[in-house]
Amino acid sequence: MIPFTLLFSGLFSIGEAEGISLMESEIAQVSNSKTTYGIDSINHAQTDTTSKIRELDEVLVIDQAEMIRREESNSIQLLKQDFIRENRGGSLMNSLERVPGISMIGIGSGASKPLIRGLGFNQVMVVENGIKHEGQQWGADHGLEVDQYAADQIMIIKGPSSFKYGSDAIAGVIDIREKLPPTEDGFGGSIEVGYRSNNAWFGGSANLFARKNKWFAEGRVTLADYGDFKVPTDSVFVYDFGVVLHQGQVRNSAGKELDFSVRAGYLGKHFRNTFSVSSVSTKSGFFANAHGLEPRQVDTELHDRSSRDIMLPFQEVRHTKVINKSNYAVGNSFIQLDLGYQRNDRKEWSQYVNHGYMPASYPSEMLYPSDLERAFDKEVFSFNLKDELFLDTHEIAFGASGEYQHNDIGGWGFLIPAFQQYSYGFYAIDKFKFSPIWQLTAALRYDHSRIDVEEYQDWFPSVDDASQVRESDYLYRAEEFQRDFNSLIWSVGFNFTPGDLILKGNLGTSFRMPIAKELAANGVNYHYFRYELGNADLSPERSLQFDLGAELKKEKWLVSFSPFVNYFSNYIYLNPTARLDILYGAGNQVFNYTQAEVLRYGAELSVIHQLTEKLSFEFVGEYVYSEQKSGAKRGYTLPFSPPPSGILNATYKPSYKGVFSNPYVAVDFRITADQSDVVPPEKVTPSYQLVNLRVGSGITVLQQQIQVDAQVQNLFNTLYLNHTSFYRLINLPEAGRNITLSLSYQF
Amino acid sequence: MIFLLTACGEEEKPAIDLEYPEIIDTENTFPVQCSIVERGGKIQFKALFRDNVELGGYSLDIHHNFDHHTHSTEVNDCNQNPIKTAVDPMLFIQTYTIPTGLAEYEAEAEIDVPSDIDPGDYHFMIRLTDKEGWQTIQGISIKIE
Repeated sequence: MIPFTLLFSGLFSIGEAEGISLMESEIAQVSNSKTTYGIDSINHAQTDTTSKIRELDEVLVIDQAEMIRREESNSIQLLKQDFIRENRGGSLMNSLERVPGISMIGIGSGASKPLIRGLGFNQVMVVENGIKHEGQQWGADHGLEVDQYAADQIMIIKGPSSFKYGSDAIAGVIDIREKLPPTEDGFGGSIEVGYRSNNAWFGGSANLFARKNKWFAEGRVTLADYGDFKVPTDSVFVYDFGVVLHQGQVRNSAGKELDFSVRAGYLGKHFRNTFSVSSVSTKSGFFANAHGLEPRQVDTELHDRSSRDIMLPFQEVRHTKVINKSNYAVGNSFIQLDLGYQRNDRKEWSQYVNHGYMPASYPSEMLYPSDLERAFDKEVFSFNLKDELFLDTHEIAFGASGEYQHNDIGGWGFLIPAFQQYSYGFYAIDKFKFSPIWQLTAALRYDHSRIDVEEYQDWFPSVDDASQVRESDYLYRAEEFQRDFNSLIWSVGFNFTPGDLILKGNLGTSFRMPIAKELAANGVNYHYFRYELGNADLSPERSLQFDLGAELKKEKWLVSFSPFVNYFSNYIYLNPTARLDILYGAGNQVFNYTQAEVLRYGAELSVIHQLTEKLSFEFVGEYVYSEQKSGAKRGYTLPFSPPPSGILNATYKPSYKGVFSNPYVAVDFRITADQSDVVPPEKVTPSYQLVNLRVGSGITVLQQQIQVDAQVQNLFNTLYLNHTSFYRLINLPEAGRNITLSLSYQF
Repeated sequence: MIFLLTACGEEEKPAIDLEYPEIIDTENTFPVQCSIVERGGKIQFKALFRDNVELGGYSLDIHHNFDHHTHSTEVNDCNQNPIKTAVDPMLFIQTYTIPTGLAEYEAEAEIDVPSDIDPGDYHFMIRLTDKEGWQTIQGISIKIE
């Protein structure tokens, strides 16, 4: 174990100091125990192996990146703080866009949600500090409520991982971890500040920590404030409706964010417990000239007076999390229990506009203010329990997880009904190392979930003539109903690691329970002018996936290739029909949830060549193809299919001594092909090329080191459309040139 | 894996329709941007619809625009009356079918305009679908006097 770890940390010794120091202290501990000879030594060695792996599992130390990649049979990408810092965007997910296989559904400059190999929403699970992040994942205009400065390391699993994470991990997982607890007694902290020129963003984060003996405490505050983002054009056409943009600013896309978190814990030799409370609050405007896809006439003079004010329409979200994590190491067993509570409180504010049969004037006796269009209030209680056993050649994990959700709705608009939901699952995973270079993994999981949907009745009658209203004219948008789902899935994988080569594969099934919107939507989504109709009879989405991963490290080359084939027997799909509905749909086109067979395949490729000690080249590319094999849209792709794209990179790291430490200069040339494989209501998106620059260094000032990073994104101020952007359907281009600067200081 | 990919590629992929249906202006088209209709009269709706494969259906929707929100897909706006509060505005929503199998269709409909409604700026929306679910929306600003 020790030589292994040493070897790998030697190969990948580019990590953070804390990772290394943790490793060293561990190694010291292991060495100490080795001095005791005799019968006990076997037991000792075993305990130490356990604690070593415990560290690996609990806190993902990136120095062991290669080890994790060798031991997990899924396609895994590990990102550490340096990557996040050097690629920092307006939101955490923006910072990940460079990773092959990852793309974004962006909404404005401060919010985005991830797509893994072209799948997103509830098909991608985001996990923060061990607990599944529960927001309103189904909404294309809803970002992810995560403090990007608190994220220290990110593990991205591309491909289904339901067997380990449960429902929703059908397309992959983004597992975000915060910093390790301090390893030594003392006091410290960090300050980061940043600026982004495009939307005049300024923000930063401050963090303090302390440790005394086995106790530690930590706190963080993050602030951000930004103005309207700029696009390289002075007018856009929302449908055919021309909108003049004042100085290229996307009217009312400003926003702000305030996050805080506190954490305290006990770190014993065998028992550890950490308690944390965090809150992320954001307020951000929607493009005023198009609420959703509806062109709006707005008071441009009022809006253009300041590029920093947030007027209607805007969204406000507050996400609170309380997490308790404990683990206990005994003998060759390692037990973990995570308990979580979270609340996602979202409000969408917009002027009352009567659509369809809504009354022309907002009635004064209504429960909600006239500008509260929609509100969602979700509370989630969850737990994960896991016991890992480290045997000679087997590593066996048993786990159980459960969740209870309570969802309320509010506002004058209706999209999804209120619902309650609970679920539980059990799983077992066995990793069998039957030779030093071969490992097999097998997993089995059972899940049960129940959803209780509440009824919803319109507050207005659906009649042309308001003087002749009957009770039945107040339509029921949702009937009360209950559904139960069961699911049994399996997965098998192998890892073959002879020398410089890592070869791995995985074959498995995955599942996802239908969500309330898919089961019970029954209303007009005025963001898209469509009448969305749920289907209470949907069955859980199932997928069968085969993926391979190959990584070869030879002298100055590192090549990795990860192809996959994926088949859904019943992909849940919102199908646009030819029908228009007069009553429930107020004359809008009917989109109904159906299930179709879907075949997907694709690959990511990454090639790194270290030309000289200072100069390296890199190519990363991604390709995904999706096709519906049955149903009304047979032959069509899936919505939000990312076009093929690649990045050519050159990085130069001069070896200065003195004021500068670890300086770097990097150029990214991104080439994205056109996306002509579309499905109604999407549009063909043309290809584009972008150049991004990154430069940075540690700088010693007054014997203190400050890390300085700068980026120029979209260097040539290129006008382009992103196929997976929320505003793509109204032809709003992406942000123009953006210069970012960030400073960070640790003490 | 490669075999599997090749196998998938060789299978005959059904031809897919990527074109939106069209709402075509002709000399008979009514209403057009800034058309004026009278209370107590009728709107004689006429439009030409066309699709490369097969048309689906259409709906018409008339709602007030006293608050100057806009669905208009026409660039020029008509001389709008000042913003006012609606008392008893006209509301009309109707869905129409198009006979199956048609790639071109001359749509006609007659809409009564009640005499007791608020006069002012209104939106006249046409939503047209084709068989595959592509939708074209056209919003026209009209005045009811």
